[in-house]
Amino acid sequence: MERFLQYLFDGLSIGSVYALLALGLVIIYRGTGHLNFAQGEMALFCTYVVYQLGEWGIPIGFALVIGVAVGFALGAVVEVTLVRPISKKSPFAVFIVTIGLFQGLNWLDGAIWGDQILPNSAVSKQANFPTLFPSKDTDFVTILGAAWRLKYLGVLVLVLVLTAVLFFVFNKTKLGLAMRAVASNPESAKLVGIRTNRVLMFSWGLAAAIGALGGVVFAGINNSVNLGLMFTVFIYSSAAATLGGFDSPGGAVIGGLAIGVIENMGAGYFPEWIGQELKLGVALFVIVVVLLVKPSGLFGTAKVERV
Amino acid sequence: MSLLEVSTLRAGYGPVNVLVDLNLVVEEGEIVVILGSNGAGKTTTMRAISGMIARSGSITFAGQSITKSSPDAIVRAGIAQVPQGRGTFPELSVEDNLRAGAFVRNDDEIDEDLAHWFEVFPRLRERREQRAGSLSGGEQQMVAIARALMSRPKLLLCDEPSLGLAPLITQELFGIIASLNRDKGLSVLLVEQNANLAMKIARRVYLIETGRIVASGSSDELSADDSIRKAYLGF
Ligand SMILES: Nc1ncnc2c1ncn2[C@@H]1O[C@H](COP(=O)(O)OP(=O)(O)OP(=O)(O)O)[C@@H](O)[C@H]1O
Ligand SMILES: [Mg+2]
Repeated sequence: MERFLQYLFDGLSIGSVYALLALGLVIIYRGTGHLNFAQGEMALFCTYVVYQLGEWGIPIGFALVIGVAVGFALGAVVEVTLVRPISKKSPFAVFIVTIGLFQGLNWLDGAIWGDQILPNSAVSKQANFPTLFPSKDTDFVTILGAAWRLKYLGVLVLVLVLTAVLFFVFNKTKLGLAMRAVASNPESAKLVGIRTNRVLMFSWGLAAAIGALGGVVFAGINNSVNLGLMFTVFIYSSAAATLGGFDSPGGAVIGGLAIGVIENMGAGYFPEWIGQELKLGVALFVIVVVLLVKPSGLFGTAKVERV
Repeated sequence: MSLLEVSTLRAGYGPVNVLVDLNLVVEEGEIVVILGSNGAGKTTTMRAISGMIARSGSITFAGQSITKSSPDAIVRAGIAQVPQGRGTFPELSVEDNLRAGAFVRNDDEIDEDLAHWFEVFPRLRERREQRAGSLSGGEQQMVAIARALMSRPKLLLCDEPSLGLAPLITQELFGIIASLNRDKGLSVLLVEQNANLAMKIARRVYLIETGRIVASGSSDELSADDSIRKAYLGF
């Protein structure tokens, strides 16, 4: 039981990060029908920004706000300058552009911050990547014998609160109605007077801002940031969005948490069979099985349209 | 001053103009119908008026030029379009479809209007929580009309509302449009293939052929004209 809970807690915490990036993927997919391959790298850039602000002595709470704002601006600029003009010509080219962006941002991070693990004692003033929550070794709660470190627990709470806020915005506000209308039928959204361009710009900004939060939180769990930090997270997040249903924000969160739990359980209970190397494989296997049974994902809606 | 004045309108998709030098007017309180064969440019005319495609020439609405206005400014000015093929938001509930129609409004009477249109279209009230995509064709057409009316337009552009509907449903819809015109003074610009039915509710008619108006007049005049009757009314 103790072991089970431990794997569960660890899985939920790491799954929260997947959930955040998956949320971003779903927001963009619903808005423009694109898979943003650069979602993880946009988040990584913002994570480096937060590291840099930490070096300059700016407290993490404030640095996070700036990092998230940078994420929003980055997402909005990418939509306006790259995605919008290119998707008019060829929707498929947008996917290629996001791959280019993935490469380009990673290169840029490397050019500015180098390829070492940061913080490190040679170049950094900070000992660890700053975290939002108490992170000393003694900061944990014990539940039925299993320890849940506060910095992990905090991440889960943060994700759940954010999900609730997003749910409210999507379903109960005018902005959310506009986002859903644009996702459903962009032509008609224009006809009722929604400025679809602004909605799409906002969607990309929001997605990148949420991703930035995910990156910072993950670097906090990891104690450091490096060029490869977000790559596997991005793979898991895509898997989470696929599992939950690419058009369902709630599904993305549940998918993210589920994948976190599955990979940790798999690696924990069958260390010699699965271990750290194969846990991705297990998660992907589960997804394939789910998709065979329910092709639109657990919470996705199959398109039905009567004519 | 007419409510809508379109003159020397040119519009199209890309380099080729579909509409060449198109002129028409809609007076306040009128129902006007545009008749024309497939591909004549009826939908293109509607889309040019609502600002959805590139256009040149002159379009004025209630005395203001809207030739260069964006679609949202045109909705705000008081023009709402029911697009051909209905164009509902299939994943959204019926109620959210109507609420989206009120997107440009900031007053606090939206709930009242919602209740009002549910009175007019009781079938929609029964299905208010249902996804619009799961409704029948006729019901979706009602959603599209009610959605357009939620913006409180002065002029309703209606593009082939009868398309794919059973005659009885079409009659019901036309009855509702006629009564909105009579009771509320709503002006309507209607595109129809079903000329017989359209001429019954319209006061004036325009005939459009390859992007030009080729004839116009009152419904009575045009249905009295032999050649036009043969070509468009089939009797
Ligand atoms: N999106 C588009 N891109 C390019 N050409 C188009 C587009 N839409 C329409 N056209 C062309 O413009 C011309 C007029 O089309 P339009 O849709 O206005 O006709 P319509 O009178 O509404 O016909 P229908 O009765 O079939 O609806 C047609 O030749 C059509 O091929
Ligand atoms: Mg048409």
